[in-house]
Amino acid sequence: MTNSSSSASPTPATSSSPSGSDRLGLTLKLLGWAILGLLPLYAWTVSTAPIDSVQGMMQKILYVHPPLAYGAYLGFVATAIAGGLFLWQGREVHDQLAIAGAEVGTLFCTLMLITGPIWARGAWGPGNWWVWDARLTLTLLLWFVYLAYMLLRSFTEGDERAARFSSIYGILGVVLIPLNYWIIDLVGGAMHPDNLEFEEESSSLGVGMGLPFFVGNLTLFFVFIYLLVLRWRVGMLRTEAERAEFDSRRI
Amino acid sequence: MNVAWALLWKDLATEWRSRDRIVAMTVFSFLIIVVFQFAWPNMEPEQIAQLAPGILWVTYVFAAVIGLGRTFSTELENDAMTALALAPGNRGWIFLGKATATWVLITAVQAMAGLVFALFFRVDLTIGLSGTATIVALANVAICSVGTLLSAMSVRSRFREVLLPVLLIPTLIPVLAAAVTGTTATVAGEALALTTLQPLIVIGGIYFILCFLLFDFVLDE
Repeated sequence: MTNSSSSASPTPATSSSPSGSDRLGLTLKLLGWAILGLLPLYAWTVSTAPIDSVQGMMQKILYVHPPLAYGAYLGFVATAIAGGLFLWQGREVHDQLAIAGAEVGTLFCTLMLITGPIWARGAWGPGNWWVWDARLTLTLLLWFVYLAYMLLRSFTEGDERAARFSSIYGILGVVLIPLNYWIIDLVGGAMHPDNLEFEEESSSLGVGMGLPFFVGNLTLFFVFIYLLVLRWRVGMLRTEAERAEFDSRRI
Repeated sequence: MNVAWALLWKDLATEWRSRDRIVAMTVFSFLIIVVFQFAWPNMEPEQIAQLAPGILWVTYVFAAVIGLGRTFSTELENDAMTALALAPGNRGWIFLGKATATWVLITAVQAMAGLVFALFFRVDLTIGLSGTATIVALANVAICSVGTLLSAMSVRSRFREVLLPVLLIPTLIPVLAAAVTGTTATVAGEALALTTLQPLIVIGGIYFILCFLLFDFVLDE
């Protein structure tokens, strides 16, 4: 274990070769077409979904807000897993995936933290932008953790050290996600629905709301993957360019 | 394990001779208590009972940040960090030695700050003292675990004085929330419930194990 940190020095990744970038380029094209196909369906299902009898039109933000939350959590989980792989194998391709996960996750988390208060204000009336609900508070903390992650990256000198430190912090920060989920059971949530009991067959969604919710989740999941792969590819291409420039100077 | 004992002894002996960290942390915690006293002058006893645990924990965390910032900065002199990296055995023991020394220092400062706090805010901390002490001891495990790991990272970064609290505080809020809730109950004379201790034990345990394992990757080769 003592010497395992030696594996954390970045080594050229086989998948950062031109073929790896090409494969990601092809994935991006496929994802792009899938998103183009899903977007009209998403818009149609949301526009034809029944209007909530209590919240009115504002309730339709449901088809955006939870999918953003799932995207945020996925991004942060990707950061932690990729960070763990980087610490284990020391391959730069994993570090680039960790950065992509953190940046796209932070983007989704920011949008979630913007859409949540808009929904709260619309549902509960003027002045109710923010409530210190357990899940909301922990999500805000998660957002701070990933802003700190990016600050750590930029303040740490040396690419290898920055990658190593941010991998460690990404793993530490992801502990907040399961805590976020179970904190509702621990302290009781004021505003967010209870965690699902899998033996229950009943759903808190009204009739006709299931399909737009599903399509919304699917579309934003594809958008998340698209942005993640795009950022990952940009990072890898940048690394390849820097390496090529370094090699040309040596020659 | 010998590495942990050696570092614990070295850190405590160095602190006993210089008293740098403990004096700085104590004075700083007293200052925070005084500032809070000015922020809420002439509080009614009911208000004090409501606000006291929060004020106490804000004081504890800010003082801990001051102390944690110095955990590894002394190791930069004469490149002692390299010597630590070259120490035989698992690097997790280095973490354990450093974290335990910091735990001892922070707990000592918290005891002194608690006395001053009780005096200034007219809070009877003898009510539920054992419960409060248990909460403080458990919360300090999480604070010192994450704080030691992040201190070892931030000390090798630019703007380390700013970076450490920015990295540390978001990860500690769940611990602090549980600690404040628990302290509110114990100061009010309620018995210490297992549901109060559960989050502190679980989060503290997870953070300790993670930090012990991850410390292996913090020191440069």
